[in-house]
Amino acid sequence: MLRQPLTRALALSSPSRVAPLAARRFADQVQAQPDKVEVFIDDKPVYVPPGTTVLQAAAEVGVEIPRFCYHERLAVAGNCRMCLVEVEKSPKPVAACAMPVMKGMRVKTNSDLTRKAREGVMEFLLVNHPLDCPICDQGGECDLQDQSMAFGSDRSRFTDIHFSGKRAVEDKDVGPLIKTIMTRCIHCTRCIRFASEVAGIDDLGTTGRGTDMQVGTYVEKMFLSELSGNVIDLCPVGALTSKPYSFAARPWETRRIDSVDVLDPLGSNIVVATRTNEVLRILPRTNEEINEEWLSDKSRFACDGLKRQRLVTPMVKDSRGNLTPVEWEDAIVAAARALRDCPSDKLLAVAGDLADAESLVALKDFVNRLGSENTCTEQFFPAEGSGTDLRSSYLLNTKIANVEGADFVLLIGTNVRFEAPLLNARIRKAFIHKETDVALIGPKVDLTYDYTHVGDSASLVKDLATGTSSNEILKRLESAKRPVVILGADQLKTEEGAALLAYTQELALRLQDNLQDKEWKVLNVLQRTASQVAALDIGYRPGVGAALAAGPRVVYLLGADSGIVTREALPKDAVVIYQGHHGDAGASIADIVLPGAAYTEKRATYVNAEGRAQQTLVAVTPPGLAREDWKIIRALSEVAGAGLPYDTLDEVRERLNQVSPALVAYGDVQPNNYFAQARALAKSLQKPVSGKLDVQLKQLEDYFMTDAISRASPTMAKCVQAVLKQKTAPY
Amino acid sequence: MAGRETMKTTCRVVKPLMSTDFCEARRRAIGLYRAFYRYIPYIHKYFDIPKSESQIRSKIREQFYKNACVTDIRIIDILVMKGYMELQEIKYSWQQKGHVMANWKPTIEPRPTDFISKFLNGKD
Repeated sequence: MLRQPLTRALALSSPSRVAPLAARRFADQVQAQPDKVEVFIDDKPVYVPPGTTVLQAAAEVGVEIPRFCYHERLAVAGNCRMCLVEVEKSPKPVAACAMPVMKGMRVKTNSDLTRKAREGVMEFLLVNHPLDCPICDQGGECDLQDQSMAFGSDRSRFTDIHFSGKRAVEDKDVGPLIKTIMTRCIHCTRCIRFASEVAGIDDLGTTGRGTDMQVGTYVEKMFLSELSGNVIDLCPVGALTSKPYSFAARPWETRRIDSVDVLDPLGSNIVVATRTNEVLRILPRTNEEINEEWLSDKSRFACDGLKRQRLVTPMVKDSRGNLTPVEWEDAIVAAARALRDCPSDKLLAVAGDLADAESLVALKDFVNRLGSENTCTEQFFPAEGSGTDLRSSYLLNTKIANVEGADFVLLIGTNVRFEAPLLNARIRKAFIHKETDVALIGPKVDLTYDYTHVGDSASLVKDLATGTSSNEILKRLESAKRPVVILGADQLKTEEGAALLAYTQELALRLQDNLQDKEWKVLNVLQRTASQVAALDIGYRPGVGAALAAGPRVVYLLGADSGIVTREALPKDAVVIYQGHHGDAGASIADIVLPGAAYTEKRATYVNAEGRAQQTLVAVTPPGLAREDWKIIRALSEVAGAGLPYDTLDEVRERLNQVSPALVAYGDVQPNNYFAQARALAKSLQKPVSGKLDVQLKQLEDYFMTDAISRASPTMAKCVQAVLKQKTAPY
Repeated sequence: MAGRETMKTTCRVVKPLMSTDFCEARRRAIGLYRAFYRYIPYIHKYFDIPKSESQIRSKIREQFYKNACVTDIRIIDILVMKGYMELQEIKYSWQQKGHVMANWKPTIEPRPTDFISKFLNGKD
């Protein structure tokens, strides 16, 4: 089966496109290296493995060859010709990105011939490129601009004596995220390669030849991908730019703050660009172990939701039942009185999707000091068996980067494509470059690659786990050297969740025991939200069902916006205190609203699905009277007479360290153990299951609006509309 | 040569401003204090300030003690001179009510120190 486009199959395989070895930590990965060949770059000798391109060999010695079409993570195209270099004993300059090194090759990257070649290429590119840099959004971060300064000619020969105009191309409409100004396109085909290789949407392509060549979708069609925003970063010129960010700012005006994304469970690394205390855009930050250099569309474009629907002042319900703005004193006193007067067994705290570890630990300490143990998360996880006691049963143990080393991936009840788009990109990468096979138990969804659909009944998992299945998947799993089993956390909220988890554990650990590679972990549970792992680490009880049934008198919602806690489920006289940053489901049922900070406005810890702690940094200040979340809880605790013993962020983190050192080991992921114990405890839970597995996010339109921030984002709403419109289009 | 240079820099004798020794400087300072002390009833009488005589007295005492650590007699002399100037400004009503009150810093709010007041003021 040919898994990649023909061009890709015929092109050189690029060894650097797989994650560097440092990012993939498992045994016997390094194969015997073939003999290295010696080449000379500008007379500097360098030893590289055969098959390396000249461009990569030059990068080894720190010589950067200019390029437009070449990209480390995409197939080699070799069509921009910018990387031409002179090679001794070669009659013509060669394209460095596509030329494999040969023994004793002498490359001159700065000779007259090379410079002349670059100048010529640049001249041809500029002949067909508009001179609209002053109104181009790419200005200041444009490869063409930079390289024409460095390598272009110092004078122009372009005289349009007939005033016939430059080449002009009609703009395309590829959806509400990407703005296309196709006249600026230099045909590097990076976007096309990204779409077909990484995103798995084979819609982009070229039509026409020579001057008439155009990049586009041929028929007008939206770019239906959850990774579409990455083509904006890839585009070396201003042909593809961000629609929401268009004409907003220049790169040199913005402040860039490194941060971490919280809108999916992977915790992608991001850079937040701000100006005048506003988040203007979000860009990916390279982290080989998580997001490589990609970013999903929700994480990238939902940032305009940070300005809408914000809670900017504390609010308390007045005598007529309307929330009215009050001072912090009044809100804190009202909340503290409600909490203090509440019998400790009738107090319930619920943590939502976007809560950070600091506020989680502060809230738990506070509630415990009031004498209650009712701290819950909205997301469910079975408490039977080992429950959340063993970290390995709720984490992505294989780790994101290692997934691309897998040779068989079994997905159980999860649509990875929308629950964790970049994990799906990893699986797709393994599928394309490593001949990995994928099987799915659950509803049939489009994962952008071929997979074996086993079925959607939960009993299939049971049969696989007990080894009684006659399905050929079982044989494939058992013969696999590095299998991966990923269970979607959504499946656990059903009544059969505990049994399903037990069977998955059984299956994964049975496979793991027979592996040669003892370091390889098979079991993975893919959480749905950024806060869940930290909450479980800190000791929150997953799921609110039982606590709600007990009829709480005071409910403290820490950003709980999933709509799981409703007014109907609560007693009539229950007091609801909501702390969070958006006026969403939680705030609408609240009696007291305490405005908190969003993830771009606080320095806070988030633990991703692998169990990797990372911190966000303050990019902008919280709007209005909003305060950092842990401080609200700290202040409230003092007024309520159960003062928490920390005053500064460092002290809170010290407390986190006491709870679990993994929560403050930033950037690091600890290896997990006690798989066998979890499996033994789960043995008794292996009851027959009969249900069908279903996932929440099936189609692209379900993906865009899943949390308080993306629900408030106009761009995300436009995306949903555009996708639905595209669905009705004939193409 | 070098030895003499070192001597020069380390044991340089400074030219006195007014006082030749510490005792004299102290006498001058106490003289200023007396002058202020005697004028307190008039400050209280001529300036419409919400302070009693004893409060003014303690404020003057406080301002003097602020410089209690000064040992350089030239600096003491300068401070004494500035003190007499200040007294003169008050005597001739060159300083008004606001200037006198400024000694008590009535408009400056103290920065919050405990967590809860820092939180309520939104200051870190």
